[in-house]
Amino acid sequence: MTVHNLYIFDRNGACLHYSEWNRKKQAGISKQEEFKLMYGMLFSIRSFVSKMSPLDMREGFQCFQTSRYKLHFYETPTGLKFIMNTDLSVPNARETLHQIYSTLYVDYIVKNPLCSLGDPLQSDLFSARLDTFMKNLPYFNPRAA
Amino acid sequence: MADEALFQFLHSELIQYIYKSGANGETENGKNITKLEAMGFRVGQGLIERFTKETPRFKDELDVMKFICKDLWTCLFKKQIDNLRTNHQGIYVLQDNSFRLLSQLSAGKQYLEHAPKYLAFTCGLVRGGLSDLGLKSVVTAEVAGMPACKFQVMILKA
Repeated sequence: MTVHNLYIFDRNGACLHYSEWNRKKQAGISKQEEFKLMYGMLFSIRSFVSKMSPLDMREGFQCFQTSRYKLHFYETPTGLKFIMNTDLSVPNARETLHQIYSTLYVDYIVKNPLCSLGDPLQSDLFSARLDTFMKNLPYFNPRAA
Repeated sequence: MADEALFQFLHSELIQYIYKSGANGETENGKNITKLEAMGFRVGQGLIERFTKETPRFKDELDVMKFICKDLWTCLFKKQIDNLRTNHQGIYVLQDNSFRLLSQLSAGKQYLEHAPKYLAFTCGLVRGGLSDLGLKSVVTAEVAGMPACKFQVMILKA
Protein backbone atom coordinates (compact mmCIF):
# COMPACT_ATOMS: atom_id res chain seq x y z
CA MET A 1 0.00 0.00 0.00
CA THR A 2 1.75 3.11 -1.06
CA VAL A 3 1.43 6.54 -2.65
CA HIS A 4 3.74 7.11 -5.59
CA ASN A 5 3.36 10.77 -6.42
CA LEU A 6 1.05 13.80 -6.38
CA TYR A 7 0.42 16.58 -8.93
CA ILE A 8 -1.50 19.80 -8.43
CA PHE A 9 -2.61 21.77 -11.51
CA ASP A 10 -4.43 25.08 -11.65
CA ARG A 11 -7.27 25.78 -14.02
CA ASN A 12 -5.00 27.01 -16.79
CA GLY A 13 -2.96 23.82 -16.89
CA ALA A 14 0.09 25.17 -15.06
CA CYS A 15 1.57 22.66 -12.68
CA LEU A 16 1.61 24.22 -9.24
CA HIS A 17 3.14 21.41 -7.30
CA TYR A 18 4.60 17.98 -7.81
CA SER A 19 6.05 15.65 -5.23
CA GLU A 20 6.93 11.98 -5.33
CA TRP A 21 7.51 9.49 -2.61
CA ASN A 22 8.01 6.17 -4.19
CA ARG A 23 8.52 6.32 -7.92
CA LYS A 24 10.64 3.54 -9.36
CA LYS A 25 10.51 4.46 -13.03
CA GLN A 26 10.74 7.92 -14.56
CA ALA A 27 8.79 8.96 -17.64
CA GLY A 28 11.81 9.45 -19.85
CA ILE A 29 10.84 13.01 -20.78
CA SER A 30 11.51 16.33 -19.07
CA LYS A 31 9.36 17.40 -16.14
CA GLN A 32 7.69 20.18 -18.13
CA GLU A 33 6.69 17.75 -20.86
CA GLU A 34 5.46 15.29 -18.31
CA PHE A 35 3.20 17.90 -16.75
CA LYS A 36 1.83 18.89 -20.12
CA LEU A 37 1.22 15.26 -20.97
CA MET A 38 -0.59 14.63 -17.71
CA TYR A 39 -2.78 17.70 -18.04
CA GLY A 40 -3.58 17.06 -21.66
CA MET A 41 -4.47 13.44 -21.01
CA LEU A 42 -6.78 14.34 -18.15
CA PHE A 43 -8.50 17.02 -20.15
CA SER A 44 -9.16 14.52 -22.93
CA ILE A 45 -10.29 11.72 -20.62
CA ARG A 46 -12.72 13.95 -18.79
CA SER A 47 -14.33 15.19 -21.94
CA PHE A 48 -14.42 11.64 -23.37
CA VAL A 49 -16.03 10.26 -20.25
CA SER A 50 -18.67 12.92 -20.14
CA LYS A 51 -19.56 12.52 -23.80
CA MET A 52 -19.60 8.71 -23.91
CA SER A 53 -21.29 8.03 -20.62
CA PRO A 54 -24.40 5.90 -21.25
CA LEU A 55 -26.10 7.27 -18.12
CA ASP A 56 -26.41 10.68 -16.51
CA MET A 57 -23.12 11.62 -14.98
CA ARG A 58 -22.80 12.65 -11.39
CA GLU A 59 -19.17 12.99 -10.50
CA GLY A 60 -17.43 12.42 -13.77
CA PHE A 61 -14.00 10.91 -14.11
CA GLN A 62 -12.62 9.78 -10.75
CA CYS A 63 -9.86 7.25 -11.25
CA PHE A 64 -8.30 4.76 -13.63
CA GLN A 65 -6.14 1.75 -12.92
CA THR A 66 -3.60 -0.29 -14.79
CA SER A 67 -2.01 -3.57 -13.80
CA ARG A 68 0.57 -1.79 -11.62
CA TYR A 69 -0.87 1.52 -10.38
CA LYS A 70 -4.03 3.52 -9.91
CA LEU A 71 -4.48 7.19 -10.70
CA HIS A 72 -6.96 9.21 -8.62
CA PHE A 73 -8.33 12.52 -9.78
CA TYR A 74 -10.17 15.28 -7.94
CA GLU A 75 -11.20 18.66 -9.28
CA THR A 76 -12.36 21.50 -7.07
CA PRO A 77 -15.14 23.87 -8.08
CA THR A 78 -12.47 26.51 -8.70
CA GLY A 79 -10.73 24.44 -11.31
CA LEU A 80 -7.84 23.16 -9.23
CA LYS A 81 -6.91 19.58 -10.11
CA PHE A 82 -5.36 17.09 -7.73
CA ILE A 83 -3.91 13.90 -9.18
CA MET A 84 -2.46 11.10 -7.10
CA ASN A 85 -0.87 7.84 -8.25
CA THR A 86 -1.05 5.01 -5.78
CA ASP A 87 -0.78 1.26 -5.91
CA LEU A 88 -3.75 -0.92 -6.63
CA SER A 89 -4.87 -1.69 -3.10
CA VAL A 90 -6.04 1.84 -2.37
CA PRO A 91 -9.80 2.37 -2.66
CA ASN A 92 -11.15 5.63 -4.02
CA ALA A 93 -8.97 8.40 -2.64
CA ARG A 94 -11.33 11.24 -3.47
CA GLU A 95 -11.86 12.01 0.18
CA THR A 96 -8.12 12.21 0.76
CA LEU A 97 -7.61 14.56 -2.13
CA HIS A 98 -10.48 16.68 -0.92
CA GLN A 99 -8.85 16.82 2.49
CA ILE A 100 -5.55 17.88 0.98
CA TYR A 101 -7.37 20.70 -0.74
CA SER A 102 -9.43 21.87 2.21
CA THR A 103 -6.97 21.52 5.04
CA LEU A 104 -3.61 22.04 3.38
CA TYR A 105 -4.07 24.08 0.23
CA VAL A 106 -6.69 26.48 1.58
CA ASP A 107 -4.95 26.98 4.89
CA TYR A 108 -1.40 27.37 3.77
CA ILE A 109 -1.60 28.74 0.25
CA VAL A 110 -4.85 30.63 -0.09
CA LYS A 111 -4.51 32.23 3.31
CA ASN A 112 -0.89 33.08 2.77
CA PRO A 113 -0.80 36.58 1.29
CA LEU A 114 2.73 36.09 0.06
CA CYS A 115 1.76 33.23 -2.25
CA SER A 116 0.00 34.54 -5.34
CA LEU A 117 -2.54 32.07 -6.67
CA GLY A 118 -1.42 30.77 -10.02
CA ASP A 119 2.29 30.72 -9.22
CA PRO A 120 4.11 27.49 -8.45
CA LEU A 121 3.73 26.78 -4.75
CA GLN A 122 6.76 27.90 -2.83
CA SER A 123 5.68 27.81 0.77
CA ASP A 124 7.95 25.48 2.74
CA LEU A 125 5.25 25.15 5.33
CA PHE A 126 2.88 23.73 2.73
CA SER A 127 5.42 21.17 1.52
CA ALA A 128 6.29 20.09 5.03
CA ARG A 129 2.66 19.70 6.07
CA LEU A 130 1.82 17.86 2.85
CA ASP A 131 4.64 15.45 3.47
CA THR A 132 3.50 14.78 7.03
CA PHE A 133 -0.07 14.34 5.89
CA MET A 134 0.89 11.80 3.25
CA LYS A 135 3.06 9.85 5.61
CA ASN A 136 0.20 9.62 8.07
CA LEU A 137 -2.17 8.14 5.57
CA PRO A 138 -3.14 4.61 6.54
CA TYR A 139 -2.12 3.33 3.17
CA PHE A 140 1.26 4.97 2.91
CA ASN A 141 4.12 2.56 3.31
CA PRO A 142 7.43 3.57 1.76
CA ARG A 143 8.83 0.08 1.65
CA ALA A 144 6.07 -1.47 -0.41
CA ALA A 145 6.79 -2.75 -3.88
CA MET B 1 -16.29 38.10 16.78
CA ALA B 2 -16.75 37.83 13.06
CA ASP B 3 -15.38 34.89 11.21
CA GLU B 4 -11.63 34.50 11.50
CA ALA B 5 -11.02 33.88 7.83
CA LEU B 6 -12.81 37.09 6.90
CA PHE B 7 -10.51 39.22 9.03
CA GLN B 8 -7.38 37.39 7.85
CA PHE B 9 -8.14 37.96 4.20
CA LEU B 10 -9.08 41.58 4.82
CA HIS B 11 -5.88 42.14 6.79
CA SER B 12 -3.66 40.62 4.09
CA GLU B 13 -5.37 42.69 1.42
CA LEU B 14 -5.01 45.81 3.57
CA ILE B 15 -1.27 45.30 3.76
CA GLN B 16 -0.95 44.70 0.03
CA TYR B 17 -3.06 47.77 -0.69
CA ILE B 18 -0.96 50.03 1.49
CA TYR B 19 2.19 48.77 -0.13
CA LYS B 20 0.88 49.15 -3.64
CA SER B 21 -0.29 52.71 -3.10
CA GLY B 22 3.04 53.76 -1.60
CA ALA B 23 5.03 55.33 -4.44
CA ASN B 24 8.23 53.32 -4.12
CA GLY B 25 7.44 50.11 -2.30
CA GLU B 26 10.83 49.41 -0.74
CA THR B 27 12.06 52.86 0.29
CA GLU B 28 8.79 53.77 1.93
CA ASN B 29 8.72 50.70 4.11
CA GLY B 30 8.74 52.81 7.27
CA LYS B 31 5.88 55.00 6.10
CA ASN B 32 3.75 52.01 5.22
CA ILE B 33 4.36 50.38 8.57
CA THR B 34 3.40 53.66 10.24
CA LYS B 35 0.18 53.85 8.26
CA LEU B 36 -0.74 50.30 9.25
CA GLU B 37 0.06 51.01 12.87
CA ALA B 38 -2.06 54.15 12.84
CA MET B 39 -4.98 52.15 11.45
CA GLY B 40 -4.53 49.58 14.17
CA PHE B 41 -4.47 52.39 16.74
CA ARG B 42 -7.87 53.69 15.75
CA VAL B 43 -9.34 50.17 15.60
CA GLY B 44 -7.84 49.37 18.99
CA GLN B 45 -9.44 52.43 20.55
CA GLY B 46 -12.85 51.47 19.30
CA LEU B 47 -12.47 47.79 20.22
CA ILE B 48 -11.42 48.46 23.77
CA GLU B 49 -14.47 50.73 24.31
CA ARG B 50 -16.71 47.83 23.33
CA PHE B 51 -14.92 45.13 25.28
CA THR B 52 -14.66 46.97 28.55
CA LYS B 53 -18.26 48.14 28.68
CA GLU B 54 -19.06 45.83 31.56
CA THR B 55 -15.71 45.34 33.27
CA PRO B 56 -14.90 47.16 36.54
CA ARG B 57 -12.06 49.71 36.68
CA PHE B 58 -8.55 48.28 36.53
CA LYS B 59 -6.50 48.36 39.71
CA ASP B 60 -3.13 49.07 38.15
CA GLU B 61 -0.94 48.78 35.07
CA LEU B 62 -0.31 45.10 35.52
CA ASP B 63 -4.03 44.46 35.64
CA VAL B 64 -4.48 46.29 32.36
CA MET B 65 -1.72 44.24 30.74
CA LYS B 66 -3.25 41.04 32.01
CA PHE B 67 -6.58 42.06 30.53
CA ILE B 68 -4.91 42.66 27.18
CA CYS B 69 -3.13 39.31 27.34
CA LYS B 70 -6.11 37.29 28.33
CA ASP B 71 -9.40 38.84 27.32
CA LEU B 72 -8.45 41.02 24.39
CA TRP B 73 -6.25 38.38 22.78
CA THR B 74 -8.91 35.73 23.28
CA CYS B 75 -11.51 37.89 21.59
CA LEU B 76 -9.25 38.71 18.67
CA PHE B 77 -7.28 35.54 18.10
CA LYS B 78 -9.18 32.93 20.12
CA LYS B 79 -6.18 32.22 22.32
CA GLN B 80 -4.29 33.92 25.12
CA ILE B 81 -0.78 35.32 25.14
CA ASP B 82 1.55 32.49 26.07
CA ASN B 83 4.02 34.44 28.15
CA LEU B 84 3.99 37.86 29.81
CA ARG B 85 7.17 39.29 31.26
CA THR B 86 7.81 42.61 32.92
CA ASN B 87 10.52 44.50 34.68
CA HIS B 88 7.95 46.27 36.83
CA GLN B 89 9.22 49.57 35.53
CA GLY B 90 6.92 49.99 32.60
CA ILE B 91 8.34 47.46 30.11
CA TYR B 92 6.25 44.42 29.23
CA VAL B 93 7.03 41.66 26.79
CA LEU B 94 4.10 39.67 25.43
CA GLN B 95 5.06 36.43 23.78
CA ASP B 96 2.74 34.56 21.48
CA ASN B 97 4.06 31.20 20.34
CA SER B 98 1.71 30.79 17.46
CA PHE B 99 0.41 34.13 16.29
CA ARG B 100 -2.75 33.65 14.25
CA LEU B 101 -1.88 36.08 11.51
CA LEU B 102 1.52 34.46 10.95
CA SER B 103 0.75 30.79 11.38
CA GLN B 104 -0.22 30.31 7.75
CA LEU B 105 2.85 32.06 6.41
CA SER B 106 5.60 29.72 7.40
CA ALA B 107 6.99 27.61 10.21
CA GLY B 108 10.49 28.98 10.53
CA LYS B 109 12.64 31.23 8.47
CA GLN B 110 10.89 31.44 5.13
CA TYR B 111 9.25 34.85 4.47
CA LEU B 112 10.83 36.25 7.67
CA GLU B 113 11.54 39.63 6.09
CA HIS B 114 7.83 40.14 5.40
CA ALA B 115 6.77 39.37 8.94
CA PRO B 116 6.97 42.93 10.40
CA LYS B 117 4.28 44.12 7.96
CA TYR B 118 1.84 41.63 9.43
CA LEU B 119 2.57 42.67 12.96
CA ALA B 120 2.24 46.44 12.50
CA PHE B 121 -1.55 46.48 12.62
CA THR B 122 -1.64 44.44 15.81
CA CYS B 123 0.98 46.69 17.44
CA GLY B 124 -1.26 49.65 16.72
CA LEU B 125 -4.22 47.73 18.08
CA VAL B 126 -2.50 47.16 21.42
CA ARG B 127 -1.32 50.77 21.56
CA GLY B 128 -4.85 52.06 20.83
CA GLY B 129 -6.34 49.84 23.47
CA LEU B 130 -3.85 50.95 26.09
CA SER B 131 -4.28 54.60 25.19
CA ASP B 132 -8.01 54.47 25.77
CA LEU B 133 -7.44 52.72 29.07
CA GLY B 134 -5.30 55.64 30.15
CA LEU B 135 -1.79 54.36 29.40
CA LYS B 136 0.35 56.06 26.78
CA SER B 137 2.76 53.53 25.32
CA VAL B 138 5.04 52.50 22.51
CA VAL B 139 4.51 49.02 21.09
CA THR B 140 7.00 47.21 18.90
CA ALA B 141 7.16 43.65 17.69
CA GLU B 142 9.86 41.23 16.72
CA VAL B 143 9.88 37.83 15.11
CA ALA B 144 12.68 35.36 15.61
CA GLY B 145 11.05 32.37 13.95
CA MET B 146 7.51 32.16 12.76
CA PRO B 147 4.90 31.74 13.97
CA ALA B 148 6.15 32.84 17.39
CA CYS B 149 6.47 36.57 17.98
CA LYS B 150 7.07 39.03 20.80
CA PHE B 151 5.34 42.34 21.39
CA GLN B 152 7.24 44.80 23.52
CA VAL B 153 5.16 47.42 25.33
CA MET B 154 6.86 50.43 26.86
CA ILE B 155 4.57 52.49 29.08
CA LEU B 156 5.44 56.18 28.91
CA LYS B 157 5.20 58.03 32.17
CA ALA B 158 3.30 61.31 31.72
